[in-house]
Amino acid sequence: MAWSRRDVLRSAAIGAAVAPTAPQVAQASGPFGAAPESVPVTVSVNGTAHSTMARAEDTALELIREGLGLRGAKEGCGQGACGACAILLDGTPVASCLLPAAALDGRAITTVEGIGQNGLHPVQRALLATDGLQCGYCTPGFVVEGAAFVDRWRAAHPGEAPSDDLVDEALCGHICRCGAALQIRNAVRRAAAGEFDAEGPPPARWDGPEKVRGAATYTADVALPGQLFARMLRSPHAHATVTRLDAGPALALPGVRGFVRLLGPSGLVRFAGQELGAIAAVDRKAAERALAAIVVEYDVHTPAVGLDAARLPGAPVVFPEDRASAGNHSEGPLLKARWEANLRGPVQGDALLRPGSAGRAIDALRAGGPGALVEQTYRTHVQCHSTLEPHGAVAHWPAAADGELTVYLSTQNVSGMADDLAERYGLPREKVRVLAPYVGGGFGAKAALRVETLAAIDLSRQCQAPVRLVLDRAEALTVGGNRPGVEVKLALGADDAGELAGLQFTALGDAGAAVGSAVSIFARLIYPSAHKELLDYDVVSHAPPSTPFRGPGGPAAFFALESAVDDLARRRGEDPIDLRRRWDDNPIRRRLYDWAAALPVWAQRPAEAGTGRLRRGVGLAIAGWPVFVQPNTRISLQGHADGRFTLSTATQDIGNGVGGALAADFLDRMGIPADRLTIELGDSRLVTGPQAGGSRVTASVIPALHDAIDQMIAELTEHATTQRGLLDVTPAKGGLKHGGGLCPWAELLASLGGGTWVGRRREQGREYFFPVDAMNINASRHLAGAVNLVSVEVDTATGRVRPLEVWVGLGAGRIVSPTLARSQVEGAVLQGLSYALYEERRLDPSTGRNLSANLEDYRILGISDAPPVTVHFDEEGMDKVPTRAAGLAELATVGLPAALGNALRQALGRRIPRTPFSLARVRAAVVGS
Amino acid sequence: MIIRPQSAEQAVTALQTGAQARAGGTDLMERLRHSRDPIALVEVGRLHTRLGLEGEELVLGAGLPIATLAADEGVRGGWPALAAAARGLATPQIRAVATVGGNLLQEVRCPYFRSPLFRCLHKRGEACLARVGDHENHVCIDQGPCAAPHPSTLGMALLAYEATAICAPRRSLPLEQLFGDGENPRRTHRLGPEELLVELRVPRPPPGEGAATLRLAQRARAEWPTVEALARLVVEGGHITFARLAVGGVANTPLRLPEVEAALLGKEPGRAVFEEAALRVKGRCRPLPGTVYKVDLLITTLADTLQAASEARP
Repeated sequence: MAWSRRDVLRSAAIGAAVAPTAPQVAQASGPFGAAPESVPVTVSVNGTAHSTMARAEDTALELIREGLGLRGAKEGCGQGACGACAILLDGTPVASCLLPAAALDGRAITTVEGIGQNGLHPVQRALLATDGLQCGYCTPGFVVEGAAFVDRWRAAHPGEAPSDDLVDEALCGHICRCGAALQIRNAVRRAAAGEFDAEGPPPARWDGPEKVRGAATYTADVALPGQLFARMLRSPHAHATVTRLDAGPALALPGVRGFVRLLGPSGLVRFAGQELGAIAAVDRKAAERALAAIVVEYDVHTPAVGLDAARLPGAPVVFPEDRASAGNHSEGPLLKARWEANLRGPVQGDALLRPGSAGRAIDALRAGGPGALVEQTYRTHVQCHSTLEPHGAVAHWPAAADGELTVYLSTQNVSGMADDLAERYGLPREKVRVLAPYVGGGFGAKAALRVETLAAIDLSRQCQAPVRLVLDRAEALTVGGNRPGVEVKLALGADDAGELAGLQFTALGDAGAAVGSAVSIFARLIYPSAHKELLDYDVVSHAPPSTPFRGPGGPAAFFALESAVDDLARRRGEDPIDLRRRWDDNPIRRRLYDWAAALPVWAQRPAEAGTGRLRRGVGLAIAGWPVFVQPNTRISLQGHADGRFTLSTATQDIGNGVGGALAADFLDRMGIPADRLTIELGDSRLVTGPQAGGSRVTASVIPALHDAIDQMIAELTEHATTQRGLLDVTPAKGGLKHGGGLCPWAELLASLGGGTWVGRRREQGREYFFPVDAMNINASRHLAGAVNLVSVEVDTATGRVRPLEVWVGLGAGRIVSPTLARSQVEGAVLQGLSYALYEERRLDPSTGRNLSANLEDYRILGISDAPPVTVHFDEEGMDKVPTRAAGLAELATVGLPAALGNALRQALGRRIPRTPFSLARVRAAVVGS
Repeated sequence: MIIRPQSAEQAVTALQTGAQARAGGTDLMERLRHSRDPIALVEVGRLHTRLGLEGEELVLGAGLPIATLAADEGVRGGWPALAAAARGLATPQIRAVATVGGNLLQEVRCPYFRSPLFRCLHKRGEACLARVGDHENHVCIDQGPCAAPHPSTLGMALLAYEATAICAPRRSLPLEQLFGDGENPRRTHRLGPEELLVELRVPRPPPGEGAATLRLAQRARAEWPTVEALARLVVEGGHITFARLAVGGVANTPLRLPEVEAALLGKEPGRAVFEEAALRVKGRCRPLPGTVYKVDLLITTLADTLQAASEARP
């Protein structure tokens, strides 16, 4: 037997740099007063000894981040569920957010900063090479855990690769919200096999090296001298009137510096978690105490919780007044609509496409006329963005510095935020600086100016100190944005010949205290030639307001539409691809249908539902997304006299890889090595860059980049011809080709003395759909397309659904960086599966309070749940989009719930018209209740 | 305030003055997150970290990290399903720090209990809010006031292995008695506030035993179980001569299921026998409106676990 009778005193392991300390002498025999308030802690951190004090409630993460200033380890959840805070404790990965600081005494820890100090660790190189990271906020945790696993594995199994399952088991305590799990798994397996012992080429992700070293500074990591700590005061009641709000007692407490009221003049509260005010104090503890000391009195009313309760007759009304204050969760302008009680709609502009004839066609089919009819009500659920870096701002607005406002902001809209702040505070634009060098995910939730940003700014002005206001996970999952649930009532009819006879599509958005449901638009964009009655409603309720979420309206629209089309094909006994081919004239998808039909998984799929306990099915669903652009996008290109280049724009890299995309196209066109290029992003002082929203970034920045390059080459050509006397000059890789050979860019720039060229995003032909771009966004006339296939296995006895494999074919034009594009698509696919299978915001039905305000009750797909994904790019077409490149983020996610639902339909022989496909819901479908 | 005792006696003295025990801290630290008042803790994690044999008994110190238990060759050989249960819970990072004793005595995971916005029965409130609210993950064997399932996987496992808990001041009690029957909505165990769990003693299984544990959850890993079970079977001459079965995730305590065990004795192992025996659990199922689905999952998981145990190599 490998063990003997022994007591394992793990505290015996003490780092070499730390002198062994005797265990703290207990004072337990005396009364409490004799025990110390805090205890000394001596700990070796990355090989250096530190001595400090720890209180009972202090965590190791606080000690490391706040005490030692090592901010590579992140707080993602505060409950050991996400792994972003992982450190090595005597060589073993642990969650530092749950580890008592006092438990560090006598131990040796390694943080991400201690890994790869002398040349990157193989796992760091592997993550860069495979692009196993996106926003990078989870990356330090994966690096720490992955390095420990790789070192352990290689010591025991040199030269061997571990199985995927072993890798998954080791990494299962980490969550990557962007969905990089597949490449993380790939990276760790290959590093364990010894593939990355040598330095690799520059990574596709330009900011990857900082991210894998834990050196990337996110808003939550900013620590300015004298910075105050702010916390939000929130209503615990979903529906109430605040009758008294007195921060006086809180302001009298030691360490408390300021308070701002955020509650509107009416005092009305519309959701549990609504911001009433914000308090600034010298540290977290003081802020917590201050929050408790604020006097708030409420007149509590009954809330309307959920889509069903809110539309009952006599339900409490959410907006009895002040309707203009309702948030807009669509990505476009808010269209006018009727609004009675909690029901707003139908939205003006709907019901345009011969609605009466759609109704007549459906009625005829319902009455038994020839053809096929599918009638069904579908329901999707509320999803939370849950970016791993929560919303946050660090604001600094000193009166002394000539009134300049600096805001470190976790935003996906640097330029837009600077514009909005300048307008709101009446400042010249150049007096506002918004900084977002790294952003820990956005997915739509960080596009608009938010209340915590304003609170941080107002508190900074009031206190004359920098103020940090970062949400915790409970807040992030409550008010940090959500995708509305949607109920879709749908009737879809085909005539005897199988042509689309009519479509009735009524969507009711469950967006809490917000409006802007725009779901039926997709039923207009897809399968265009038919009689359609399309209606959109909002049902407002006493729940946190929705915000735009990656493909707003898309998942619900395609879930309803593609489920119905699938069932219609089945009813007609027709192959689902054949039916779609007849109805769909989109040229991209018509090519993708050929690709899908030729896949063995499709061609060999079983014709009927299975009969055993474990059943498999394959489902297909299509998607489409408009190519959006931001017309005011600029790219600044500096060619330095020493032959180096700098590309800059205010846009932010939220994990989408915009920096890498710019680099890929620039280096390719110029024919130069990567070390000549510097990229600057995430600073509003740079030229205007696009918001990351509506998948607009690629189609905005790449044409502007090419415009800048064209300008530079034109000037260099002119210079070469007129000043240098070169003949027959044409641009080539590496420089300008001329009669006498190649003149390198460096030589030309030196001769010119360098220069700066600012490229613009110009409209190509009549590309834009709208004549004006009121919101700095314009839809082009062109549509990207996708076809998604999912194969699943269902355990009918337990309801467990296991996605086995996913195939996505996408046509979004030219792929600028294949590596980054694949990551973007894989992430979108995993998010789509995660939404359909696991994630669900749940509110207490009587109080409206959030029950899923943590990453245990709010379930995000883990690495062990991630199936292999095959990505196929169809790069033809998009000729009318400048540089032929469009975005992928939304296109690649919106069809996934529908494809999964269709796979389940085939496996079970039954349609599950509601998401998520939880154990309870799948079992209910199996037993037929 | 932190008290670092050198012995169980010193720890008990500290508990008597009102201090709370802390071992690995993976449960407690999250609950201390929003604490505003000073708190007194007595660090018990390093007092009893033993893993060893005494006669034919496996001795597990309450402060033993779960990862150590899960990885130990001796435990994997002699008590394989206990090691498997330890290996399947939480995540490697949690298992490295969380202790055997802490896992047994941890608080429920019910969101009404965990959220600072609610004052439920378990937090000295008036009523169990999950009963009238959202309770899809709650009990389907309703034992009484609190509807949250007991979260301890090791509790389920040690119950099936008929372990005994040794406490200070001197008391030993079988695991059933450590957990009780769900009568007290404010405690997940029956230890008094001044009692300290010192160690667990697990008898050696009979020769020829096959054992298995299964955990059904939404996601593949890093998830609290919807239903989990552990079964131990001895088959002699083609007939089941010994059966132990415990289940977790379905009641306010981990549960032994003697009625299912009894139904197995003397039978030839096989799917039909396991399913029929598992059905006996129905007699004690009292689901909430939202956990009716769990009854079938429980029966299936019991049958699956029995089957896995019968197929496990002794």
